Amino acid sequence: MSTHQLPEHPDFLWHNPEPKSSYDAVIVGGGGHGLATAYFLAKNHGMTNIAVLEKGWLAGGNMARNTTIIRSNYLWDESAAIYEHALKLWEILPEELEYDFLFSQRGVMNLAHTLGDVRESIRRVGANKLNGVDAEWLDPQQVKELCPILNIRDDIRYPVMGATYQPRAGIAKHDHVAWAFARKCDEMGVDIIQNCEVTGFVKDGNRVVGVKTNRGTINTEKVGLCAAGHSSVLAEMAGFRLPIQSHPLQALVSELHEPVHPTVVMSNHVHVYVSQAHKGELVMGAGVDSYNGYGQRGSFHVIEHQMAAAVELFPIFARAHVLRTWGGIVDTTLDASPIVGTTPVDNMFVNCGWGTGGFKGTPAAGLTFAHTIATGAPHKLNRPFALERFETGALIDEHGAAAVAH
Amino acid sequence: MLLISCPNCGPRDETEFHYGGQAHVPYPENPNDLTDREWAEYLFYRENTKGTFAERWVHSTGCRQWFNMLRDTVTYDIQAVYQMGGAAARRARPTRS
Amino acid sequence: MANTAAFTGINGLREIRRSPASHLAEAFDTGSVQGTVTLNEGPFQTMVGVRVDRSSEAGARIASVTGGLPERCGDVGGTERVSVLWLGPQEFLVVAPEDAHDSLGGDLIGSLKSALGDAAGQVVDLSANRTTFELSGPRARAVLEKGCALDLHPRTLKPGTALNTEVGNIPVALFKTGEESFRLFPRASFADYLGRWLLDAMREFASPEVP
Repeated sequence: MSTHQLPEHPDFLWHNPEPKSSYDAVIVGGGGHGLATAYFLAKNHGMTNIAVLEKGWLAGGNMARNTTIIRSNYLWDESAAIYEHALKLWEILPEELEYDFLFSQRGVMNLAHTLGDVRESIRRVGANKLNGVDAEWLDPQQVKELCPILNIRDDIRYPVMGATYQPRAGIAKHDHVAWAFARKCDEMGVDIIQNCEVTGFVKDGNRVVGVKTNRGTINTEKVGLCAAGHSSVLAEMAGFRLPIQSHPLQALVSELHEPVHPTVVMSNHVHVYVSQAHKGELVMGAGVDSYNGYGQRGSFHVIEHQMAAAVELFPIFARAHVLRTWGGIVDTTLDASPIVGTTPVDNMFVNCGWGTGGFKGTPAAGLTFAHTIATGAPHKLNRPFALERFETGALIDEHGAAAVAH
Repeated sequence: MLLISCPNCGPRDETEFHYGGQAHVPYPENPNDLTDREWAEYLFYRENTKGTFAERWVHSTGCRQWFNMLRDTVTYDIQAVYQMGGAAARRARPTRS
Repeated sequence: MANTAAFTGINGLREIRRSPASHLAEAFDTGSVQGTVTLNEGPFQTMVGVRVDRSSEAGARIASVTGGLPERCGDVGGTERVSVLWLGPQEFLVVAPEDAHDSLGGDLIGSLKSALGDAAGQVVDLSANRTTFELSGPRARAVLEKGCALDLHPRTLKPGTALNTEVGNIPVALFKTGEESFRLFPRASFADYLGRWLLDAMREFASPEVP
């Protein structure tokens, strides 16, 4: 019989308040982006009479399902600005939130496997440097030095011809990030309301004045939508359309291993990205499933394809085992860039379309979206990412930098 | 993996097919007459239905023919397969919320 | 003055022509398990892509050259010498021996072109597009089943059936020519891959069966 005492229950990081009848602002979606938005609304704009509504459990959607990669090496000025700002926030947030969420700047490599890849990668390194984003071009030997388990032989189908490298990029513990934001929000008076599903909106003319939920109607002056995967569903409830398609995105982990993989390796061409979590699991992802889907699951051949790619790049992985696979629902746009800004409905704002790369953008999404909600106008970082760009044609095509591996 | 019944070849693995997005989106009759908003709607806006969705597929490894399909985007159940240009088959189930 | 005379076919070049899997011939030989499963390449067959509405007059004219056009998926038409595979409702692959090629004294392609005439459709020489593998023996089906999702059981798949599908993740036209024999038509650039894939799949049958 064990003589061990159970440890004392730790303090709750956040509470579970009943929804009030009215708030100054309501954020729909209690994932990373929703919590970050609430955090910056409270911290930067003094709005603490606000609620975050989550239909399931806190950070149980894409925040629980992503592969935790953080980087800012995007091609265009607009993207480099917002993702690099996010990276700078990631660098200070553990201290600011007083929570070590294990942000590990172990670097990210984006492999080039064809001459086209090489040209595109070198171009991106140049663009990154002009935008103040740390970036280097590595030849295959340098790639091997940084990541010894990578196969750089030239007798494979898609040999490694080099890589871009961003040393300040890395990974973080996704769940801990959510908890860190949630605790600070809670401390500042934000109501985090779980198991509260939005079923409709109350409008006065073209102005949103309330949110209908399965726990009653909540009056509010402003609504921010942060529900990646379900953005279109919410927009439809509110009476407008979004140029978004929801796709399954799958990921997987192996069993635990000793540290074997010191950095993050992404390959758009052979469709896989791999890091090793702090705990020791190899974490891998690939591209979205081709069809629209809200099922939080995808097709097995996508997993098979990404495993084939991983084993070719990392022959040692042939001896690892897939422990678990899962899927999330990602919002994709036609230019592989997010939509953050105002909507056709007054006082309703939307943050969506981050595709497969929302995690890395979390702090900047929160900062800029909070600014947009509080002031009614976009922050300079998210102004280019307005919904109107699909009409004006000012698209921000990041398929090269995002592609399979956002 | 979806098991898709090609109208010409019968049931085949999803890997033999390619997805073509929403079905029944006609090319505008007079594109030059459209406003920017209408053109944006045609280029970039598609339904993103949660529930029964009419979509296009092509049997690229088989007969290389396009066809339409009704599929539930939550359960992934395939409810109907019908010819291109045909009217959308009856909705087998109401849209889920 | 440059020689501007029309080429008269590949006569004279035949000897130096190499088939897409010729470098694997020896491996196919050693990898084959006589009486169990064997693999070899049957190169240089004459192949013609035909697109025509089989119910049209042009369709009927073409059918009279090929010995019929198959009606639906799986059907194979033709004669002793010529097989016509159904690829789509209006798309067919005509496969004939090498010497049916017009450059080697045959007249298959010319005849098909004349049969089509000005009607809607096309007749294209695709002889260099694909090669042919022959996989035979009692375990041929077991080899294919490792990488083909179709139901290959004899109760479903009868000899004389051809299907456009995937084998080993690549597109292949699969023609069941006998109770225990299959022809696979991969595109030339996939011949090396599929050849090696089949050899790998055959390997276990070289060892005694574990009871």
